[in-house]
Amino acid sequence: MVFNSYSFALFFVLLLVLHNLPLPWKVKKINLLLASYLFYALWNPPFILLLWLSTVVDFYMARLIAREQRSAPRKLLLTVSLLLNLGMLSYFKYGGFLLENFTALLSAMGIAFQAAKPDIILPVGISFYTFVTLSYTLDVYRRKAEPEPSFLNFALFVTFFPHLVAGPIVRPEDLIPQFKEPHRATTQQMTWGLFLLSLGLFMKVVVADTLLADSADTIFGVPFPVQPLDAWLGVMAFSGQIFCDFAGYSTCAIGISLCLGFVLPDNFRYPYASIGFSDFWRRWHITLSTWLRDYLYIPLGGNRKGAARTYINLMITMLLGGLWHGASWNFVIWGGLHGIFLCAERLIRDWSGKRQRSFAGQNRSDQVLAGTVAQASMLPVSWNGRLGNFGLALLTLFLVDITWVFFRAPDFGSAMRILLSMFGVIPNGAALLTSLDILKVSSVTVILIACHWAMRNSSLVKLGARLPWWLLSLVWAVMLMLLILTQKSSNSFIYFQF
Amino acid sequence: MTPLLKSCLLTLALVLTFVVGWEWYWRSQNLGLSYNDDESLWAHTRKAIYRSSPSRPVIIGSSRVKFDLDLATWEATTGEKPIQLALVGTAPRPLLTDLANDPNFKGTLIIGVTEGLFFAPDGSFPEREATKRVNFYPRWSLSQQISFHINRVLEPWLYFLDEERLALRPLLTNLPIPPRPGTWGGPKFPKEFSIIQFDRQDVMTDAMVADTAIQNKVKAVWLDIGAHSPKQTMPDAMVTGILNSVKKSVDQIRARGGQVVFVRMPSDGPFYEVEKMSHPREKYWDRLLAHTRTPGIYFADYPALSKYRCPEWSHLAPKDAATFTQDFIPILKQKTGWPITIRPTQKPALTASLPPHQ
Repeated sequence: MVFNSYSFALFFVLLLVLHNLPLPWKVKKINLLLASYLFYALWNPPFILLLWLSTVVDFYMARLIAREQRSAPRKLLLTVSLLLNLGMLSYFKYGGFLLENFTALLSAMGIAFQAAKPDIILPVGISFYTFVTLSYTLDVYRRKAEPEPSFLNFALFVTFFPHLVAGPIVRPEDLIPQFKEPHRATTQQMTWGLFLLSLGLFMKVVVADTLLADSADTIFGVPFPVQPLDAWLGVMAFSGQIFCDFAGYSTCAIGISLCLGFVLPDNFRYPYASIGFSDFWRRWHITLSTWLRDYLYIPLGGNRKGAARTYINLMITMLLGGLWHGASWNFVIWGGLHGIFLCAERLIRDWSGKRQRSFAGQNRSDQVLAGTVAQASMLPVSWNGRLGNFGLALLTLFLVDITWVFFRAPDFGSAMRILLSMFGVIPNGAALLTSLDILKVSSVTVILIACHWAMRNSSLVKLGARLPWWLLSLVWAVMLMLLILTQKSSNSFIYFQF
Repeated sequence: MTPLLKSCLLTLALVLTFVVGWEWYWRSQNLGLSYNDDESLWAHTRKAIYRSSPSRPVIIGSSRVKFDLDLATWEATTGEKPIQLALVGTAPRPLLTDLANDPNFKGTLIIGVTEGLFFAPDGSFPEREATKRVNFYPRWSLSQQISFHINRVLEPWLYFLDEERLALRPLLTNLPIPPRPGTWGGPKFPKEFSIIQFDRQDVMTDAMVADTAIQNKVKAVWLDIGAHSPKQTMPDAMVTGILNSVKKSVDQIRARGGQVVFVRMPSDGPFYEVEKMSHPREKYWDRLLAHTRTPGIYFADYPALSKYRCPEWSHLAPKDAATFTQDFIPILKQKTGWPITIRPTQKPALTASLPPHQ
């Protein structure tokens, strides 16, 4: 079930009514759990078995791990849990990819091997709920958390429908404590939740699907070069589309959850106003980047084992982060590029810091460079003015857009063709986008960047509190009117495929 | 009352006012209620193919069989309503392959042939669009089916739920923005051209039938499409390849006891002249029938079918579609020998005269 559907509207209204009836808390939690299973099963019922398997195994493994004091059996139990979760993920998500590359490798070695094409359907949301259950087991293993005694609470934590299929990737501490006490939305939470739901649907249905998707699909769908203007607009269209699609989903999820009285973590903080790539990853898909930081980058050693290992760890984390998005070398390249940019930024920052210290040694009064790299600037210059920072944010977005080419293109050849078209390397490309497409993509891009920049150090909650109530209402009403004008959208959320 | 709650209530009032006003506006435009001919409606119709018979055939093809075969008249004549699976602007071959590959389909099939679309190469836009629809059917989730049934309740009451003509996307597309040189945004049909009924019948609106200015706009669209269509003739090998794949599908259906007929619906004026030049009958239609050893009905061969005029050169007006259908059924019966029950002649049922929510 997708949030932008009539079936979800009916489901949500019924669930809200049920959740607000004077029933015991345990009954309400059972209702939520059953509703979550129904939400998932309406896609493809058999895949609910995988969800159950993951839930049951991780619940009991965590209990056994917590009870066990000896190191070796604890490791064995953790391995069983990891093998099951990552094994399922590998089979469903990477089975075809691994076989394809194995075949290609044998072929390169001159061995003729033709495997039957595996007919594997990817269960929706498997990458997300696998990471949710893994974080629980790993936290218990590392004795950061106690195992949850209630199976109901744990099952609801894994399955809670707002986050189940496309995040935010919740941690045990985000949600399980909220299930222990009765929760019902206050009027404030309910209205704000409905506002967030409207905003998320507006971003998805109006902006991503109606204003941007066609242009991106056109440019990334043709097998021939296009004019530089078309290539750039196609990439900017995708850049806006993926943000509005994914952040739209997260905003809906947070809003829906709030309507039921539960708070989910933020997943996006205006990423297209990021200054540098470490700033970008503090703002884009936050729950994934923090997951990768806590369960991959830091266990690998983080930045505690010297400069060289830090760069290696960064690259490993980003390459695997890329691969998490899908079984394709393009995703690996996308992750690799982000890794390279993060490493470059770190190098520049270190170099800039050394220069700063050297300057400071020569002239104590020279404070110009102090604080330049307060967040993560890309350049070793004192661009700490608002205009300078805006320039750096645009530079970051430019580089982020380059990486999106690999993320969206169906294969490496297409990605390279679009990149070469963008920089005018291939002459006589086709003009494909119409005047209306150009108008839509450029105006949405400008508005998106302006909104992100204006909100860079703020939040929707603060903005909502600051705006006069009638103005907020006007904005809200316009979003809903455009949503009604756009009507139903058949497009699924992009991140469901991950 | 908190400011947020006040915002919420005002929003509700504004949105309700907008919805009422928007609906009232579109009703006042006399465009007629039109259903969304989307994947779900197609999939819903596709589910019925297992109950097909000579009196209740499955129809695939492009727009002409959707306009010209009047389902209500067919039902009034034979007692059964055909299953309309044709898709506007597409090549029917992916649908034919889909039906041929469905072991449970053993019924009767009418295939509309508009040569420019029927012989569109694999990978072309008309072929891809039909393939998308075919691929959607097995993935039609329970959730989408529930949404479809909710939509089915709402659509007859709300004119503005018309994605094809009144949603944000078509409204933006029809803005008078100067075109970018060298690009084409696709055909822009006037809103008054046609409506679609729940049984997937396409019907010209009264305004379209009455107003030659609107008819001329549609004619201009055909010229526009013609100007942007590939000009080179198809290599013979490609035609043969298509004929082979069609034959394979037809044979598969026949092997299970099914029956197939090709039909060429009327076209008119310069459109027909261009079609005759770009797709000569002997090179396409005649070869199709001979290669597949399948009966076919070409409108020009029958005075009863060639007497009709198309207001915009390509489709019949509703009244003509009704009588055309009445004329067509006996010819179909005679040509194929199918056991179609024909009731005594009566006034055509005229789909277009039905209330819009029927």
